[in-house]
Amino acid sequence: MSNAFVSLQKLSLAYGSNIVVPELDLDIVEGELIALLGPSGCGKTTTMRAIAGLMAPQSGRIYIDGIDMTRMPANKRGIGLVFQSYALFPHLTTFENAAFGLRLKKLPQAEITQIVERGLRAVGLDRLADRKPAEMSGGQQQRLSLARSLVMQPKVLLLDEPLSNLDARLRLEMRAELQRVQKETGITMVFVTHDQSEALALADRIVLMNNGIIEQIGTPDELYGAPKTKFAADFFGFENIFEVEGNTIKGAAQSLPLGFESTSKYLAWRPGAIDVGVGNFSGIVRGSAFAGEQREYIIESKIGQVHAATPAADPSYKIGEEIVFDFPQDHSLPLAR
Amino acid sequence: MSSKWTSRIIIGITLTFLIGPFLIIILAGLSAGDFMTFPPDGISLKWYLKVFTVESFRASFALSMFLAVFGTIAALILGIPAAYAISRYDIPYAETIKTIVAAPIIVPGIIVGLALLRYLVVPLGFTVTLALFLAHTALVLPYAVRVVSSSLNNLRGDMEEAAVLLGCSRIGAFMRVVLPNIQSGVLAAFILGFVTSFNQVPVSLFLSGPGVRTLPIDMLSYMEMTYDPSVAALSALLAFLSVIIVFVAEKFLGFSRYV
Repeated sequence: MSNAFVSLQKLSLAYGSNIVVPELDLDIVEGELIALLGPSGCGKTTTMRAIAGLMAPQSGRIYIDGIDMTRMPANKRGIGLVFQSYALFPHLTTFENAAFGLRLKKLPQAEITQIVERGLRAVGLDRLADRKPAEMSGGQQQRLSLARSLVMQPKVLLLDEPLSNLDARLRLEMRAELQRVQKETGITMVFVTHDQSEALALADRIVLMNNGIIEQIGTPDELYGAPKTKFAADFFGFENIFEVEGNTIKGAAQSLPLGFESTSKYLAWRPGAIDVGVGNFSGIVRGSAFAGEQREYIIESKIGQVHAATPAADPSYKIGEEIVFDFPQDHSLPLAR
Repeated sequence: MSSKWTSRIIIGITLTFLIGPFLIIILAGLSAGDFMTFPPDGISLKWYLKVFTVESFRASFALSMFLAVFGTIAALILGIPAAYAISRYDIPYAETIKTIVAAPIIVPGIIVGLALLRYLVVPLGFTVTLALFLAHTALVLPYAVRVVSSSLNNLRGDMEEAAVLLGCSRIGAFMRVVLPNIQSGVLAAFILGFVTSFNQVPVSLFLSGPGVRTLPIDMLSYMEMTYDPSVAALSALLAFLSVIIVFVAEKFLGFSRYV
């Protein structure tokens, strides 16, 4: 992709002899909001730190806006990072925190005042300009951290788990805030998260990572609706994933005939896609939970555990009761690996 | 009832041992007689005033002040980067380095003093003042490293990375972000180092020359010659000085957090 704004090419990242990311290729278009998603230890934070210049790659190249940044020191890259812990300077006021980078640029005082005041107003902190970080709430600290990066007009803004330290209400607020900032500034943003719902809600595209490898890149719709790998399907809520061969389904203990023929290696179903009450499979209800609109079951069967969900209005099953069910072809998701 | 009295008695004895000598010294210095006695032989301020007229006390006080101030500053100049490296980087042999840095307080002062005299002053022709300066720097270094380390450990490393991403160099980030946030720790280390150096006896005992003596050593040799209450008066004055320094430090820095 030649129109990539940020381009990571054959990037290899390691801490000493511990290789975290063996080889990674990723292109990000200008103005995109990208989520690096994956479980802890998947290499997402390491990748972000490499883009920022906080760690040097073993090999491979990093291009930003057409410039080779691979060996460029972090303080010359013009990249903003909002740290998970916010990393504010405790000895400086809100105003001075936000002015920190501008002062290093040796801008005239009047200009600094103007930019910082505008920046603080944009995140709703203009009235707290004289406070120290310790006197502000977590949400306010994070907005300050965001403003401190934004006033520098970075080429790329990186955010490390931007919503994880906030409570549910603030999380919604911050999510809206990030979307607004992105819309207004058109800045290219990359955020790291382990929470699939955050990635789905915020990102233009999601980069799903596992063990230092990109499992799948796509829009939230694509990843949620059509994960391509077993890991991706598992991560996005397909709780029933089974190995298949032709028309048999291979359980942990035993293989059973499936009602149809399949050419893929795995098939996956969401709990709601399992047919309950009819079918060729049977098992014992081991868990049952009422979840508002539906009732969720854990069924122990000959091919292993099956997660099923039925509409709340349907007849319910008790723990220990026998239950019959089926894997329908039309709601199955084929997975190559 | 009895356990309450037991604890009161223990507290009373402890306080007597801690504060008693101090009171005796103060009172002995107030004596009007010509010899150090307790209880004092009449009351007068003459020995407290005489202290300031003894020429050798003035010279040795100046030397001790010089060593305490500049030895401690030198120890901080060496100790702050060392503490920073130990707390921030995963350096090899960090534990060994910590042990070596702590060695001057573990090795008995007599041995340090003798070693410096035998191997620096005698064969290499170091002046006694230089040897004293090096010795006091080395003795204060462990405190500098320890106190500064503990305040660095309370400071998150990502603040420096944030400063770098905003355009700072690594050294710039240290000066602008780290130093301002550990300054009370540095000040605490300075005070602790100052007091340690000023009160140092065993090492300084070996390192004295014609006209070059630290104040505690000078007091010792003065006492060998003249057993008048001026030494008691001087001790009391020095004790007051230490109390004032520590009191001010506690008041403004919460000094006890660092020690």
